[in-house]
Amino acid sequence: MDFRPLNEVERRQLVTALRGNADRGLSLLMDRQTTYTGTAEEVPDEEVIAAIKSVPCHY
Amino acid sequence: MGLLDTEFGKRRLLTVEVPAVEAYNRGRDPGFGITLNRVGGALVLSYQLKPCHNVYRLETRLLSSYPTVPPETRVLTPLKHCPHLLEGQTMCLWRQGSTRAASRWDPAQFTCVFAVQAAWRWLACYEVWHETGEWPLPEAK
Repeated sequence: MDFRPLNEVERRQLVTALRGNADRGLSLLMDRQTTYTGTAEEVPDEEVIAAIKSVPCHY
Repeated sequence: MGLLDTEFGKRRLLTVEVPAVEAYNRGRDPGFGITLNRVGGALVLSYQLKPCHNVYRLETRLLSSYPTVPPETRVLTPLKHCPHLLEGQTMCLWRQGSTRAASRWDPAQFTCVFAVQAAWRWLACYEVWHETGEWPLPEAK
């Protein structure tokens, strides 16, 4: 696979979002191809399946 | 208890898991939805995720002991060896092999779509690790 890396700004934004998700339940939003599009403090119930809520994983 | 051969398992599939998958697939671009296939006594979810710029093929296996036993998610796309990756490119998501009390998987709260979302987050962490050598989230206690 030809890995296409994140640029520095993208990486910084993603790390902030991931930590917000893990620490305070910030939802990560994705588009129709499952690509990250941003974050939201609250997601309506009908859209919850399209957002990554905080999942208490091991990693 | 069998997911596919007991009344409890079938009811769980029809009332919880399949509706969750249908909701996930609604409006999704072709190739990015979840497809379900029976493989022996297990149910296998096949799908692709593209958290950033790269597309990954994955499968999540619901064994006959699911949901008591957590789903297993494997990345089919070759990865660099990294933290939280077990043999066979299985993601370490729920502290596999731990006691039920220590496991992060809660069968009363989660559906197979939560496993897909957990895999998405794992891959987002992988993309960061690939460039920095650091896993962006601390290991959960």
